[in-house]
Amino acid sequence: MDFLHRSTNLSALALYGFIAIALSIHGIAYCEEEKHAETQSTQPVTDCFESRIGYSSVTRTENVVPEYGYPNVKCSQTTSGVLWWGDPFAGTIPMGGMPEITDETRGDFANAVVKPRTPLLTYYNIGPNGCETCHNGQIVPIPKNTKPRLIGMHQDIVENSMQLMHGHGALWCLNCHSAQNRNKLIDRQGNEFSFNQPQKLCGSCHGENYIDWRKGVHGKRIGSWKTGGKKRWWVCTECHNPHTVQKSRFNQLQPEPPPPLPRGMKNANYERAKEGQH
Amino acid sequence: MSEEKIGELKEANDVQQGRREFLKNVCVSSAAALVAAPASAGTVAEASNPDADVTVAEFFQGNFVLMSDEEKKQAIARLEKRYSAQYKKKTTVSDTAAPDDVLFGYALDISKCIGCRRCVHACVKENNQSRNNPEVQWIQVMKMPKGNIAFTAENLDKGYPEKSEFGDFGVQVGGNAYRTAGLSTEDAQNYYNDELVPDQDFFYMPVQCQQCEKPPCVKACPVRATFRDHAGVVLIDYNWCIGCRMCQLACPYHARRFNWAEPKLPAEEMNPKTHYFGNRPRMKGVMEKCTFCVQRTREGRDPACLEACPVGARKFGNLLDPESDVRRVLSTKRVFRFKEEYGTYPKFFYYIG
Repeated sequence: MDFLHRSTNLSALALYGFIAIALSIHGIAYCEEEKHAETQSTQPVTDCFESRIGYSSVTRTENVVPEYGYPNVKCSQTTSGVLWWGDPFAGTIPMGGMPEITDETRGDFANAVVKPRTPLLTYYNIGPNGCETCHNGQIVPIPKNTKPRLIGMHQDIVENSMQLMHGHGALWCLNCHSAQNRNKLIDRQGNEFSFNQPQKLCGSCHGENYIDWRKGVHGKRIGSWKTGGKKRWWVCTECHNPHTVQKSRFNQLQPEPPPPLPRGMKNANYERAKEGQH
Repeated sequence: MSEEKIGELKEANDVQQGRREFLKNVCVSSAAALVAAPASAGTVAEASNPDADVTVAEFFQGNFVLMSDEEKKQAIARLEKRYSAQYKKKTTVSDTAAPDDVLFGYALDISKCIGCRRCVHACVKENNQSRNNPEVQWIQVMKMPKGNIAFTAENLDKGYPEKSEFGDFGVQVGGNAYRTAGLSTEDAQNYYNDELVPDQDFFYMPVQCQQCEKPPCVKACPVRATFRDHAGVVLIDYNWCIGCRMCQLACPYHARRFNWAEPKLPAEEMNPKTHYFGNRPRMKGVMEKCTFCVQRTREGRDPACLEACPVGARKFGNLLDPESDVRRVLSTKRVFRFKEEYGTYPKFFYYIG
C-alpha cells in the first residue's frame, strides 16, 4: 500500500525536482562523496611559537579583536607554529631609537614596533634582577678578561664553551655579553644594548645584512605594506640563534601537512622515484 | 544575412539582456510561474530562508562590476545576512575599491624559503577555503632538487656535431644539446612529507597566482567573470562565474582551483571579515584563486601568507613606490619570474637574497 502512495506522488515530486534544478545556477550535479567524516572541530592550540622553537613563544588569547572575534594568533594543529595573525601588533613595544643613517639605506622606523625579547629568555627571568640575580659579583665573580675558558654552566645554550664557533672561533661569550652588566649586550666599542635591540650589536659586524634589514629586504615585517605604515619588525635573534648560527643559519622545522592526493592516487612515491636521476 | 540572424547577433551583443532572455526561456511554463510568485511577493529580498544556496534575486544578479551602487548594496546586504545566519557570527562583506596609484607586487626569496608550508595553511585560514573533502589550497610548494638547472658545466665540451647519411650539418648532439638551460619543474615534489625541513639537497619554490599583467585566464573567460582590477590583481566574481574551467586550462601556473563539491567550512573556523571578490564563502561549481588577500591589502594590511612566513622570505608592496619592500628587492637582488617566456608578465617575483 505504501508503494502505491509513493507512485501517486511521483509526478508532484518530479515537478519540485525540476524547479529545484532550474533555480540552481550550477544545475549539473557533481558526484559528491559523503562517506568521509566532516572536519572534526578540535581544541585550538594555545602554546605556539613564531620562528625559533623555544625562543619565540606566543600564547593564544581569545577575542583580541572584538569586532570579528579574532584571537591574537591561530596556530597549527600539527606543529603549533603560528599560522595566522588576528592582531599583528599584540604585545609589541615601539622599537626605540635607531642609529641615524642619512643615505638611501635608512630604514622606515617611524612606526616600527618590536616584540620585547627579554620576557622570553630563560635565564633573564630567573630572578628580579635578571641575569644579575646570579652574575652580581658575589655569587658569580665578574671575569677579569674575555679569554675563552671552560665553563660549567649554561650548557643548554652552548654545549662546550671552548667550541663556540661564532666568528669561526674568533669570538667568545664576553665579546657580546657585557661582563660588567649581564643584563646588557656589548659591542667592540663598549656600547651597551638591550636584549630587545640585538640588531645594533649584530649590525656592527654583519653590515651587509644589517643594511638589507633596514631597507626591508632581509628579515620579516608584518602589519602594513604601505611605506611609513605601522609594521612589526622581527629582530635578528627572533630567527637566528647566535650561539649555533655556524651550524645552521635557521634551525630546521617540522613542515605542515602536505596537500591532499588527487582522487584515486594512493601515495606520491612516483615523485620520490625521480630523485637523483639527473 | 537573414533578418533572424541579425536579430540574434544584436541580442548576443547585449550580454546582460541575452542572459536574462536565456534564463527566461529556461524557466518555462509552470516552473516560471512558481519562480515568479515568490519574487513578486518580495520574500526573496528579506531572505526568509537564509540557508538557501541560491536565492532568486541572486540568480538574476548581474556582473558586480556593472551593477549600480544600489544593486551592489542590496547584493552585499543579502550576502551578509546569509553568511551571518549560516556561520552564526556577524560577517561583513566589503566592496572596498582598489587604491589608486598602486600596483601590487610580490617578491619571494627562494634562497630563504624552507618549505614549511605555513603560507599554504595561513592562506586556508584567511580565505575560507573548503577544509576537508575537498581540501582546497591556493599555494603549492614545490620541493626541487638543487642543481636542477640541467645545463651543466661538465657537459659543456661533450657536445659533438651530428653525422648522418645526409651529411654533416653541424647540428650539435650530446653534452648539453637536449638539456633545458633553465629551471625545470619536472623533478618537483609537491606532496613531500619530511620530518624536518629544509632538506639540504633541495630548495623550495612556493607557487600561487602570479597576478599577471597579461593574464591568460582573463582572456579565456567567456563571460568576463574574471578580470584585472586597476591595482593589478586578477579577481573573480563568484556569482557571475559559470564554472566552465577555461581559465584553469589557460593558466600556466596551476594557480586556479575549482569547487567540485559544496565547500565544507566549519563555522568556528570561518573568517568573518570578507570581501566580495576575495574570501567570502564560495559555492559549488565556481573557480577560486589567490587574490593577494584583497580583503586585507585594499585596506593596507599585508597578505596572510607573508605574515605566516617564519623566515621572512615573502615581501609585498606597491610596485609604483620606489621605497617599498618589493621595489627595494627589484633594485638590489637577482630576480626572476616564473615561466616568463610565456609573456604573461607576472607581478610575482622570485629572488635570491
